[in-house]
Amino acid sequence: MTSDAELIGRSLAGDGEAFMEVISRHEGAVGAYLARRAGREAAEDLLGDVWVAAFESRRTYDRSYAQARPWLYGVALNRLRHYWRSRPAEDLVPDVTSLANGWDPWPAVDARVDTHAVLRAALARLRSPEREVLTLVAWEDLTVADAARVLAMPAGTARRLLHQARMALRDAPEVAELLTDLNSVKESQ
Amino acid sequence: MNVDEMDLVSQLKDADPLRPEAYQRARATLRAAMAESGPAPVTEFPRARWRRRTVGTWGKVGIGAGVAAAAAVAVVLAATPATRPAAPTGSASAQAPGVTSPLMILAAHITADSGPLPGNASLIIKTQTIGGQRPDVVYSLYTDSGALYAGDDKATLMKAVARHQNLADGMDSRDVKVALYAAAGNLTTARKQMAIVSPGDFWLGLTGSAQRAAWDKEIAKEWPTLKAKGMKTPPKLPTGQALQTIINNRVWNNSVEALSAGGGNPQVRAGVLRLLSTIPQVAVAKSTTGGQATLTLKAGSALFGGSGGEVLTISAKTGMPIKDTEPAQGNVPSSVSTYKVTRVTLATIASGRF
Repeated sequence: MTSDAELIGRSLAGDGEAFMEVISRHEGAVGAYLARRAGREAAEDLLGDVWVAAFESRRTYDRSYAQARPWLYGVALNRLRHYWRSRPAEDLVPDVTSLANGWDPWPAVDARVDTHAVLRAALARLRSPEREVLTLVAWEDLTVADAARVLAMPAGTARRLLHQARMALRDAPEVAELLTDLNSVKESQ
Repeated sequence: MNVDEMDLVSQLKDADPLRPEAYQRARATLRAAMAESGPAPVTEFPRARWRRRTVGTWGKVGIGAGVAAAAAVAVVLAATPATRPAAPTGSASAQAPGVTSPLMILAAHITADSGPLPGNASLIIKTQTIGGQRPDVVYSLYTDSGALYAGDDKATLMKAVARHQNLADGMDSRDVKVALYAAAGNLTTARKQMAIVSPGDFWLGLTGSAQRAAWDKEIAKEWPTLKAKGMKTPPKLPTGQALQTIINNRVWNNSVEALSAGGGNPQVRAGVLRLLSTIPQVAVAKSTTGGQATLTLKAGSALFGGSGGEVLTISAKTGMPIKDTEPAQGNVPSSVSTYKVTRVTLATIASGRF
């Protein structure tokens, strides 16, 4: 299969359909990425902006990388930052607290514990770069090196941030309690 | 095997998938951009509808910017008794501000007092507190040439500048340009231009049959989404008071954005004040903030489709933005933003001497 890098090269040479092919390969992943961070409504509004921004900046694409998905996540993150900056306060709260929808909390967990809220709150307390690296790895299945590429930072920095994020979560009393509960339920089974 | 924190975070991965038509719309947006690129500057492409800054009922309805948002608010307004007599026309013509309007007086004072502008960029440090939670600080650097760099603190702003991570998308500079024009230009023209800063609002700049045709075309495109959101019949083109309210809402939103982006320039501040003086739903009162004389601009709920509001506090001497407050509404927490605006040079930022 032709690599994304080759397709972007063709696009720069005037082949518009080549860029459309890149988009068609990654639109599901980038759409889900946006939806996880901004909700479906905003993601649907932003997706076209992301494609246009990617198209306009494709000259900057480093064609030593065959796969363009981390680069597209990076473009999408820029649009998200713009979006978050320009949103009214009333919309900013869900950015942090409703990072995803639709998870059915594990029935084994004490019904009084709002697992969803606990995790969201713990994620919200992370520093922004820590949260970005953590969610790129946990949600987008990226390697730490690819997450670093998305965030335009050295891989070592991304590794450090991921470590810090994991430690911060593990040290959060409510997350620690949740992990203890879940693991004791598993053991008793 | 034990569950760890990564397993837990992975459980939050699921989100509502985008609808198929959203992917089609995004591809169409890209194709249009590609078609228009060629020799013309790509930045001229009218970007897809993207909500820049809407508030109150507009946001709650949960529909994007442009015609769809206007459609939503039009429905709300139709059910809300008008608090003022309907405007005679649907144009963006200026409401006549009184000659003694405190905003017009301050704008004239700022214009008369302003000398050569120091530096080549404005640094705006915004501290926002939502619902009493931990404040969020954003450093934004708007250069006079139109670039925008942002960071969470000094170090990340310096990195953004060093790496040329320009976030400007044209709209930031567009509203600032309109504000600059408004400082000394025709207010009716300036209002019209400020109302249509967002590409999705282009129809507000049209009149008569052209406006109706643009509205009908956009609604036809948006109808599947509006229907999915529970709308029973396609909304009609807002007219009279409803249209004026939409125009005033856009002038407020975009002017406040221009103030936060270009507030380091006295001409921008003067233009913004002149524009805000044309909005009848804005009440101005003298106040004192932290010991300094201020003006409090209260945008009532009438400007936001019947609920919500916003209070902007500016320096009574310079027009610099100081504070922006949105009250809590139902389960939506309050928001308080404070601004520190200074003129700087890019070199100063790059060297960290700020």
